[in-house]
Order: sequence, then structure tokens, then C-alpha cells
Amino acid sequence: MSDILAELSTAVIEGNVDDMADLTEDALDEDFSAQDILDKGLMPGMDHVGVEFKAGNMFVPEVLRSARAMHNSMDLIRPLLAESGASMTGKMIIGTVKGDLHDIGKNLVGMMCEGAGFEVEDIGKNIEPEAFVEAVKKYEPNIIGMSALLTTTMRSMEHTIKALEEAGLRDKVKVIIGGAPVTQTFSDQIGADGYASNAASAAELAKSFVN
Amino acid sequence: MRGNYKVNSGTRFRMLSDDQLEELLGGVLHLLEYTGLEVHHEESLEILKKAGAWVDGKRVRIPSYLVRKSLELAPRSFTIFSRDGNSENDIIIGPGRAHFGPGPTCPNFIDIESMDRRPYVKSDVPNVAKMVDALPNIDFCESLGTVDDVHHDLGALYEFAGMFPNTSKPIVAWSYDKDDSAGIHEIAIAEAGGQDAFEKRPNYVHYCEPLSPLISTGEALDKLIFAATNRIPLIFTPCPIAGGTAPVTAAGIITQGAAESWMGLVIAQAIQPGLPFFMGGVFSVMDMSAMILSYGAPELSLMMAGLTDLAHYVGLPLWQTGGCTDSKTFDEQAIIEGSLSVFFSALSGGDMTHDVGYTESAMTGSVFQLCAMDEAIGYSRRITHGIEVTEETLAVKVIDNVGPNGHYLREQHTRDHYKTEYWYPNLCNRRNYEEWEEDGKKTMKDRTVARVHEILATHKPTPIKPETEEVIKKVLAEAEERVKED
Repeated sequence: MSDILAELSTAVIEGNVDDMADLTEDALDEDFSAQDILDKGLMPGMDHVGVEFKAGNMFVPEVLRSARAMHNSMDLIRPLLAESGASMTGKMIIGTVKGDLHDIGKNLVGMMCEGAGFEVEDIGKNIEPEAFVEAVKKYEPNIIGMSALLTTTMRSMEHTIKALEEAGLRDKVKVIIGGAPVTQTFSDQIGADGYASNAASAAELAKSFVN
Repeated sequence: MRGNYKVNSGTRFRMLSDDQLEELLGGVLHLLEYTGLEVHHEESLEILKKAGAWVDGKRVRIPSYLVRKSLELAPRSFTIFSRDGNSENDIIIGPGRAHFGPGPTCPNFIDIESMDRRPYVKSDVPNVAKMVDALPNIDFCESLGTVDDVHHDLGALYEFAGMFPNTSKPIVAWSYDKDDSAGIHEIAIAEAGGQDAFEKRPNYVHYCEPLSPLISTGEALDKLIFAATNRIPLIFTPCPIAGGTAPVTAAGIITQGAAESWMGLVIAQAIQPGLPFFMGGVFSVMDMSAMILSYGAPELSLMMAGLTDLAHYVGLPLWQTGGCTDSKTFDEQAIIEGSLSVFFSALSGGDMTHDVGYTESAMTGSVFQLCAMDEAIGYSRRITHGIEVTEETLAVKVIDNVGPNGHYLREQHTRDHYKTEYWYPNLCNRRNYEEWEEDGKKTMKDRTVARVHEILATHKPTPIKPETEEVIKKVLAEAEERVKED
């Protein structure tokens, strides 16, 4: 691997948010494609972070720092990737469902998914089914992620899926759900495409839908 | 700037009031002056007489001014050094600092592979020392057993010879007699670079025990005199049994046990003024149904906390007890008794808490109990570390910056403090159900066994100097010759 791509990986692992723009420019100057930078620089770094996190050697604040570092590079290469029609990991929207103001879990999922290479549009909390539908139309994501902490608000996930069906958009997106009271059984019941029990596995689950 | 601002920089409790402690102190001084103790040792009787004690045959009475003078001479703060110069392994004795380690002399051991109870053997010693060396919350080393498979007079020597190369944390050396003590000392000073170097930076502590009620034995005093003469920090720790060899009441056992320790203190300070000296011991109850000295009773923690208060009141460090259990196996009882007692030891700030890893009421040593207690000590230490209150930790600016609806995951403040504000478990599992299930539904016991096996397979202690290795060989060979002659 080239030195500059290795440096990018290391910078992602170490969470050097301030160096990412310069390193990315350097890599582009050395005629590496945006795709190379993503696949051979950023992603190997984030993959390493994922492994270390799972092993308990890295912690959430460090992972988020790495995700932010990756993000800073992505800001520069995203337009180039789009131009060349190259594949990106994917786009997702996330939100906490209607009636629910709990969002720390949803925020974590968003940041973890950014770290996994997704372009994440966080549409907030207390999101009505119709607002999810509007967001799908606007952002055209591959995946939507819904979160709920309360058993009383979980049902809104089902309503959102119904709303997507009625709008004729259900086939265009994968729906993943999570939150403390949510289970795989519930996910199957309401016709979601997947459930994850924590933020790190949510990112893995999301990746499994686009790769 | 905050003037005269009072800080509680850790959580400690003190159980007894100044009035109560003054009364306990009065009781101890009264016992020493009017009742007196038996001293089965000619040389000690001479030393005591010369120092101003009243000697009548074997019975020695010590006037209270002499006890107070001895208390005055003994330091409250001093350092026991790691043998390899690693200052992280030094033990700094002083107010508010609690340290932990195993105990000595269990006849049995929980086999590391089979987990069955069997006699303690020579090859167990390095494993215990390696565990001590690797576990982050264990600060000093004892062997957790009496070596059964060597000549019975040489167990203590083989213990030290097995521990010393396998941990750089300070060892508390138990011995049978002064010959053992001399051999142990020869090894320790070889590593330190000679007697002078040792006196400047002592790398082990010498342990001896008077007998309850109110007797100082010949062997104990032989060892005490050896330690005092060679300026080896000293523990003189009785093991009175409430209702058996001591009064049944907590205040009564503390009074008697302190008198037993302070007989040693007076002799030691007469020989070597300023010698670091720990009063001790193991104070607990005789279970009136099972007829054992209980290592898991709440009264153990209670009596040890009271004794700690008394020791600190008179300016001595305490040899504490905790992390032990009456349970025969690694079960819920072992963890409840062990964890609560280490928490109480940490809260009371006993300077060196020993017997971590004892099971079956001190009959069986277990590195599994030791490993689980390392976790309980870490947990306890996080609590006794307390809450730091500064502008930085108040985080008013950070809260203002995040405001309603925000979150703290990306704040620099979070990154700056999450590692030091939290304690991270090694054995306790905090994963969610799915991950725990995926990982094989392992119990605390499974994880403890795995950690013990991993440490023993991978941990490499700092080696001792080659010349010390030669001294160990020589000391053991000479000892084998000595017992052959007997």
C-alpha cells in the first residue's frame, strides 16, 4: 500500500480530524482516485477501529473521533465519487419515531454509520410517519433507521412502514429499527428489514444491505 | 481562587469517635501496664527490661509512657519499593492509601487446571506470584499456601525463592524461624545491592505473629529481632478469635489484639528506632456452631474497621484483612463475602489488606478468588477515589454549550475525562443480552477462569538479576544441607 493511503488509515484510527483534509488533498495530488482513497485509505482504518471497538480496546468517544475524521475526508471526495459514478457505501436517514424524544441511541447509531462510510441524514426526533416519507423522497436513501425507547412509541415504526408502502416507496429502501424495547421478533412482526441491538451492530447491519 | 476551601478527595469512613478511640487506647495501655503479657524469649526480656518495662519472670508489664514513646518513634508514612525500580509497583504507606494482596500459609490450593482442592505444592508459588504481578489492583505478594512437597522446615524459604523472581511487587515474607528469615533476607539484599542499599529502599516486608491471648513466642521474637536489627519493615500481627482466644465483643478483641501487637512494637523500636511497623491482624469471630474462625463474617470487617481506626488514631499503619471467604468453592458466597470485605477495607483505609484469595476459612488458597477480588478492589477503589469538584469537572460551560436537546458524545470534555472518570471492568459483563448469548452465555466464573489461564500463559514478570539467581540457588542448597544434618 502507498504511504499516503496508509497515513490516511492511521489518521482515521487515531482520530486526527485536523489532518484529514490535507492528507486527502495530498492523496489526490498523488493521483489516487477518490475510490482508492475510500477503499484503501479510509475504510481499512475504520474497519480496524470496528475490530478494536468490538474487542474492548477502543471506546465510543474514540470511535466517534475516528468517524469524524473519516467524515472530514469524505466531504472532499464525495463530489468526486458522485462525478465518477463510483460506488459509495450508501446513504441513510435516521430518526426517533413519533412521540419519542429519546435520541442518544439514535445519535450513536448515526455516528457509527458515518464511521462505516455512510452519508447519514439525521432527521431528528418525534418524527411523524409522513415526515419519514417526505425525507425518503427528498434524500433518496438506501436505508432508513428508526429508533424508539418507549413501548408506547414503538408502534409508530409500524405506522411509518405502512406510510412508506402507501407512498409506493417501501421497495426503494431497507428499513432497520432499534431501541431498548425493540426485538427481532417485533422487527419481523412489523415487516422491517432488520434489527440491531446496539449501535455498532446497527452499522454492520446497514453495511450488509449495501455491499 | 477559593480560600480555605475544604476538599474530601476520597471516600473513607471512620467508625469510632475520638472519645471511643481514646477509651480503646486507655484499655490497651491499661492491659499492657497492669495485666502484662508473657514473653517467651530471653533476649527480648533483656531488651524490654533495659527499655524500662517491668519484667517479672516471663510476665512483662509496660508502663504507658514507654508505649507512647514507641508509638511516637514508629513512622506513619514510608515506602516499600519494587525490586526492579518500577515506581508503579512501589507501595506508599500513608493516610488514605489502602493496598491489597494475598495471605500466606493455606495448606490447600485450588488446582489451576482441574479446579479441585489439593495440597499446596512448590510449583504453585510462581503462579500465584505471576497473578499478583499481572493483576492491576493487587499491590503486594504472599504465596496463598504452605509448600507441602519440600522438607517441612523449608517451606517458607522455597516460597520466597519462588515468589521473588516472579513479581516485582513487594513481597510480605512469612517464615518459620530466623534461619528462614536470614535466607530470605540474603536473597532480597542481593537484588537490592547490599544491606545499605536495602535499608535505603526496602523491597520486602517481614511478617511475624504473636499468639493470643497475650503471648509472644520465642520464634516470633527471634524473627522480630532479626527484622528490627536488619531494618526490615515489620508486621507483628496477632490472629485472635473472638469468643475463643479473645473477648467475644468487638471492642474487647481490639483492645487485647492491639496490646499483643504493641508488645512487638516496643521491642522493635527499642532495637531500631523509627523502624516501619504495622500493627495487625486477622480479627474475627469463632462461629459457635461450625467452630471455625470465620473469614467471611461481617464482624471481621467490623472489627478490622475499628482496629484500623485505632491504628490511625495512634499513628500506625494497619495490616488489614479482606477479600476472603468461608466458602469452599468459587460461588456466590465467595463473591459476596470477598467483595464486601474488600469494600470495607478500602473504605476504612487499612494500609495493607491481606488474605485476598483465601477460601474455606483460610484452609485453601485460590487464584480464582484472587482474580475475582482484583475486580472487586478496582470497583471499590473507584468509589473511594471520590468525586473531584473543580470548575473543569462541574462542566457548567460544557452544559451551557450543549444545551437542551444536545448530547455529550462528541464533546472534548467527554473525551478528556471518560477514561479517568469511569472504572472499566475486566470481568463484569455489561454487554447486551444478544452479545452475551453470542459469546456463549459465559458466567463470571467462566470469565475469571479464562483470565487466570490467559495471565498465566502470557504474563512475563521482570527477571531478577543473574547474581540474585545464584544467591537463591546457594541459599536453598545451604538450607537443604542444614536440614540434612538435623
